[in-house]
Amino acid sequence: MAKLGFYFDGTSCVGCKACQIACKDKNRIMVPGNRYRAVESYETGAYPLAFVYHFSGTCNHCEAPACMAACPTGALFVAPDTTVQLDAKSCTGCKQCLAACPYGHPQFFEEAGTAGKCDACIALRNAGRNPVCVDACPMRAIDFGDLDKLEARYAGQGASGATASAKAVTPQGVTTYAALPCWPDGGTAPKLVIKAKDCMGEEGFRHVIL
Amino acid sequence: MTGKKEGQGLSDSVRDRGPQNDARSNSAQGGVCGSDARSNGAQGGVCGSDARSNGARGSSAQGDARGIGVRSNSARGIGAQGIDRRSFIKATSATALALAGLSAPGCSPQEKASEVGQDVALPDPDEQGEWVPVACWHNCGGRCLNKALVKDGLVIRQKTDDTCSDEGGAYFQNRACPRGRSQQQQCYGTDRLKYPMKRKGWKPGGGANSNGHLRGTDEWERISWDEALDYIASEMRCIYEGYGPRAVFHNGGPGYGIGNVLNSLGGAVSSSSTESYGAWRLYNVEMGQNFVNSNPDMESANDRFDLVNADTIVLYGCNPAWASAGSPSWFYKQAADAGVRFVYVGPSRNVSASMLDARWIPVRPGTDTAFLLAVAFVMIEQGYIDQEFLDKYTVGFDAAHMPEDAVLEENFKDYVLGSYDGIQKDPAWASGICGTTIEDIEWFAQAMAKENNVMLLHSYAAARCNGAENLPQLFMTIGAMGGHMGRSGNATGCTYYYESANSGPRLVRMSYPVDGYVPGKVDDVLCGPVQWKSIVEGSYDYAGGMYSVGASFPPMERRSIDIKMIYSVLNNFTQSRMDINNAIKAHQKMEFVVAQDYKLSLSCQLADIVLPITTEWEGWIADTWHLVTWMNRETQYFYTPVLEEGLFEAKPDRFVAQELAKRLDIDPAPLFPATHKQMYFDQIAGTKVFVGGTLRNTPYGETAVPIELLAKPDPDAPDPEVWEPLAAITQQDIDDFGVVGTPQEGKVPFKELMSKGVYQVGRQEGDGKGWIAYEDFIKDPLKYPRPSKSGKFEIYCQAKADGLNGIGFNPEPIKPYPHYLVPVEGYEASFIDWEAKIPGEYTFQMYTPHYIRRSHTTLDNLPWLQEAFENPVFMNATDAAERGIENGDTVLVSSKWGKILRHASLLQSVMPGCLGVPHGKRTDIDPATGIDRGGSENSLLGPVQSNYYPQLSGYNTCLVKVEKYLGEEIPPDHKVSFVADAQ
Repeated sequence: MAKLGFYFDGTSCVGCKACQIACKDKNRIMVPGNRYRAVESYETGAYPLAFVYHFSGTCNHCEAPACMAACPTGALFVAPDTTVQLDAKSCTGCKQCLAACPYGHPQFFEEAGTAGKCDACIALRNAGRNPVCVDACPMRAIDFGDLDKLEARYAGQGASGATASAKAVTPQGVTTYAALPCWPDGGTAPKLVIKAKDCMGEEGFRHVIL
Repeated sequence: MTGKKEGQGLSDSVRDRGPQNDARSNSAQGGVCGSDARSNGAQGGVCGSDARSNGARGSSAQGDARGIGVRSNSARGIGAQGIDRRSFIKATSATALALAGLSAPGCSPQEKASEVGQDVALPDPDEQGEWVPVACWHNCGGRCLNKALVKDGLVIRQKTDDTCSDEGGAYFQNRACPRGRSQQQQCYGTDRLKYPMKRKGWKPGGGANSNGHLRGTDEWERISWDEALDYIASEMRCIYEGYGPRAVFHNGGPGYGIGNVLNSLGGAVSSSSTESYGAWRLYNVEMGQNFVNSNPDMESANDRFDLVNADTIVLYGCNPAWASAGSPSWFYKQAADAGVRFVYVGPSRNVSASMLDARWIPVRPGTDTAFLLAVAFVMIEQGYIDQEFLDKYTVGFDAAHMPEDAVLEENFKDYVLGSYDGIQKDPAWASGICGTTIEDIEWFAQAMAKENNVMLLHSYAAARCNGAENLPQLFMTIGAMGGHMGRSGNATGCTYYYESANSGPRLVRMSYPVDGYVPGKVDDVLCGPVQWKSIVEGSYDYAGGMYSVGASFPPMERRSIDIKMIYSVLNNFTQSRMDINNAIKAHQKMEFVVAQDYKLSLSCQLADIVLPITTEWEGWIADTWHLVTWMNRETQYFYTPVLEEGLFEAKPDRFVAQELAKRLDIDPAPLFPATHKQMYFDQIAGTKVFVGGTLRNTPYGETAVPIELLAKPDPDAPDPEVWEPLAAITQQDIDDFGVVGTPQEGKVPFKELMSKGVYQVGRQEGDGKGWIAYEDFIKDPLKYPRPSKSGKFEIYCQAKADGLNGIGFNPEPIKPYPHYLVPVEGYEASFIDWEAKIPGEYTFQMYTPHYIRRSHTTLDNLPWLQEAFENPVFMNATDAAERGIENGDTVLVSSKWGKILRHASLLQSVMPGCLGVPHGKRTDIDPATGIDRGGSENSLLGPVQSNYYPQLSGYNTCLVKVEKYLGEEIPPDHKVSFVADAQ
């Protein structure tokens, strides 16, 4: 069956964080601090040949989710659509998933005392719509769906041959990635397709505040 | 806009009235108004109003009023922004339900996730409510489609444009930026002003009763609307009668009727600044450019379909990803993907330039004229210029092509070559000023060569500098030298705001609202950059109102001015204009200050009475620019309010104006001829769509005029424009909407427009709706002359020189052609000795980028945006290392005029010696040190005027120093809220 995951186009992203905010809106996370989708900005190079890029990251809905393996209560599980879901009723707030996820994805909500995570807008998708981050992006830099189809659709569209630390080999050649230096492969078989530009493949990146 | 000249004839006898303070405090002598009432501070001044009926809610009833809460430094901060949530809901029982669902993490992610279980079949969450197209009205540069999911009167989610498909390119989803997506936190924010309040230390009657020194730090007490309006009316009456209209400063826009009330009383002093447009506001029409919808040099670039026809697109100081967020960056990306090379010019390689992989040409702030003169030099020397174009379409480039009215026997080319001053404006000369390498200057000049298809596009940022008076003319000159005008793939003009990446006359036009208008009788216009200093010092140089097409400036004239009252409305100029330190002093000097807003803006913080105003999600509002004109040329939006009434006790601006008019014996009928809902309906009924003919420039000039004039076909045009009504309206529609009107034929049913919220003109290549700026002039310069005196682009413009020199601000005359001016507080001024290059104390040049977190000063207070964008200052990482500053450190930035604290963001994408301080941040003065912990750029900008135009605001020319701050670290902005509660 189709493996579902997110696509991110690092050549288009301007770091506006509309996706991050649309996600918080949909999930009613009104407070600063907890984010299911987080955009961070990075820079490589030195003046005047310096390059800023952004990465919008969320749950990779991994095939071997470390969060699920760490969860003592079975609150985390892989849904039939291959996305990783959390049953908060079973969550005891032990934070094991937070410690286990190599991407720092699960969020802990102090007030509720439980964890939360991206559900890839499963209810919206069941109603025939996209995750909100996909429809929010003014640059059309985010997509969601069958990984094979995403790779087929976006590979060969001018993505550069960056020297990313972990490349996804696509049928069309090495044009998309499942990881970047700023988003290294956690060994959990992440379901993620990234279109990158040269600077995103450089190891000497710096996190910047915009 | 402010600064419109509104008649003459202020009586000097009023201005020179005797000892005002004594008169005002002595009711028997003052005789200016209801003196008994005024002498009774507890009752407030009422001037014959009947509204004292609820005087029982006087100050003592609110004796437990908490502090001003100007700065609530709360670690709590969760959603409730530093307010105790229970007391908040208690205080606003009418809307408690709304807030429970909105501003708190009520509908928690946990609850949502818990529904998942093993069975992922969930109901459609959208079925819980109704999607309403809502207003997104900010002065942001975007104007996108914004919809709110409304359930039981609450907004439970937002979304953006999904009304069409992007496929095929005929239509595009105009997707909203993070600011629009966060708007629910503005409208339902817990920091809304909830009820009218009065400053505790203030008492009516003027003089010492004002306790003006407490403004900004005083406590608040809640008062009723009637009390507030009575106080204001009484104080206004006394001040107008006692001192005359020259004692009243109107701090902001017309305010949906407040301007008319002030004008009915005789008018008020206003101020004028070039603001957004910088030097492009000056004589650009006289030089042959456009002036459209109150914006200079608009409709001067080509539409989005033509972007791909350029070889090179230069974004000169532009950052659409932050300053025109939404679709423009996406349009540019499509051009980049199609192979167009982008070039970015400015002091930092911003996020737009980064996304577009643009070649960065670093140029120091305020030195663009030097840079472009050297570009011109190389173009001349290397033969890159299109001489035929210059000869045919311009005047003043060389001695053989001077305009008839030229009085100076000098021309641009000979100036560049050094014939007059012995200085060749070559790359070596410029590089020492602008910091650009000689190689980059030569490369840029070659890119501008006539062989290339070039779009030379600017924002106004580079012209928001002291000494930028000649930049717009020079920019136009460079474009003309390459012949980059009037042809596909070529343009020289503005890409800005709603026209960013898609220039040209609008294809669907809503009519303007028709409202009452009363002209004022005060001609005093303070010069924006020094307005607060003028008020503090009691005198100013009158230099006429804002430049408008065809206007000439009078010679500057010293006048005394004795302002007693400030009315702040609509704009938050106290925050958004230069020199906040004098602004505070000016406010504290007043007898009375009133401000109205929906949050505790700096203008409100410094007021005596604050009035809570509705947002555009509460009730109907008919607007001119923000909801009508300033949007993508292919779209028109139709909003519906979420709520019919204001939250808490908030009321519309118009309510305030109407109520004050009544209390001041002004007949409100002619001022407010119709309800806003009726006016908005009339605008919708008057909306027209371009359906054929040859599209022409929107007529010149300020266009707050009925659409009939805007869309008036040129009678001489061989192929006149054809416009058709958009909305098909039935009597049933009119009745259901609750207005009066006449049924009409149209393209789209009224109810469909209102439910969809948008009409978009379908586009395709070659559909006759595209736009090549200046195409008519280039094809037939005699039939379609430019609006300059010569009918051509004036590289030598006598009108510019005569106009500016006529003001007499600078004894050294400005030349009619674009020459270099050493900017006041520019790079050169950072040296004690320029020739020997001995640096002074302030070695950094500040620039003030528009910031994606907010629109000017609006939306800055929303938790989602504050989390997303931390508002640091941007500095070169090497500069920082030399000063021991690490990423995220708190730094102290100081200028001659003030100090701010911010976190430092270290970037290699910032030119050394430059410091980016994002525009619009809320000021937060530490009373102990006077340092602005909020980090407003206007706390660093002082009362400084440019070289030639006294109203030119040089926001990007200010010298500062930066150092690691050894005092207490500043907290993240989301932990600092500005709340005025009197509970």
